[in-house]
Amino acid sequence: MKPNARVFHWLVPAMMTIVWWGLFGFLAKLGSDEVNAYDMQILFTLGTLPIAAYILLRRSGMRSDRRGRITGAIIGLVAGAGGIAYFAAMARGKASIIGPVTSLFPVLTVVLATTVLKERLNAVQAAGIVLAVVSAALLAS
Amino acid sequence: MITIVLWGVVGLLQKIGSNHSTSNSLMLWTTAGYIMLLPFLLWNSHLLTLSTRSVAVGVVCGFTNALGAWSLYTALERGARASIVVPLTALNPLVTLVLALIVLGERLTTLQTAGVVLALVAGVMLSYEPDSGAAV
Repeated sequence: MKPNARVFHWLVPAMMTIVWWGLFGFLAKLGSDEVNAYDMQILFTLGTLPIAAYILLRRSGMRSDRRGRITGAIIGLVAGAGGIAYFAAMARGKASIIGPVTSLFPVLTVVLATTVLKERLNAVQAAGIVLAVVSAALLAS
Repeated sequence: MITIVLWGVVGLLQKIGSNHSTSNSLMLWTTAGYIMLLPFLLWNSHLLTLSTRSVAVGVVCGFTNALGAWSLYTALERGARASIVVPLTALNPLVTLVLALIVLGERLTTLQTAGVVLALVAGVMLSYEPDSGAAV
């Protein structure tokens, strides 16, 4: 296969991820203007079910140990609680600000990964933390 | 802020979980976690009073989120390098931003614009990880 063809093989789904997640933020704003955050999380969960059902029916690439399964369930609980906070923020603020600001969550992931998992912080991430702090200061003023 | 803290923890858990599970399986168990939250949410729900349009927006909102994650895993399965594709997908708030400006007619001050642009760049840089043993 030509190198170009190989790149485009994954580029399409990667671009789709940007579009789908970007659309998610927009719909979160549309919904949160009318629906309270808890109900939004209920509806959100219903919306994720078709994809989960598809994965379940396809039955490919499904391997996990006990620790992986428990971690996955905890991810759902914590991400769901984060989702409620996200919808509540969207109800109060502009999507054009809340969207980019909440996308700063990897700041904490990076910090936790260095402290808990003893991963090394790379230079790009370190610069990203500085930019994130400057950005938050600008938006808070 | 609460969102950043909780999703930040989620990022860490995903790093741990991905060592013990394939992405498909992890996504399935994450959905199970979402479902476990439902009993607490249904307690005080006004779901039955909502308009059809609101319900549709909320459900499609969840659908697009899951679809985005699934597309990302597809890209990785097709040989995308995580160090490139994960920072690339961190650009997704740009789509939200553009839609909010055009469709909702939101307007930002100069200072807010600068902050939002920095946040986007920071988001991309923060999700960069060199490829050696990098997890999604």
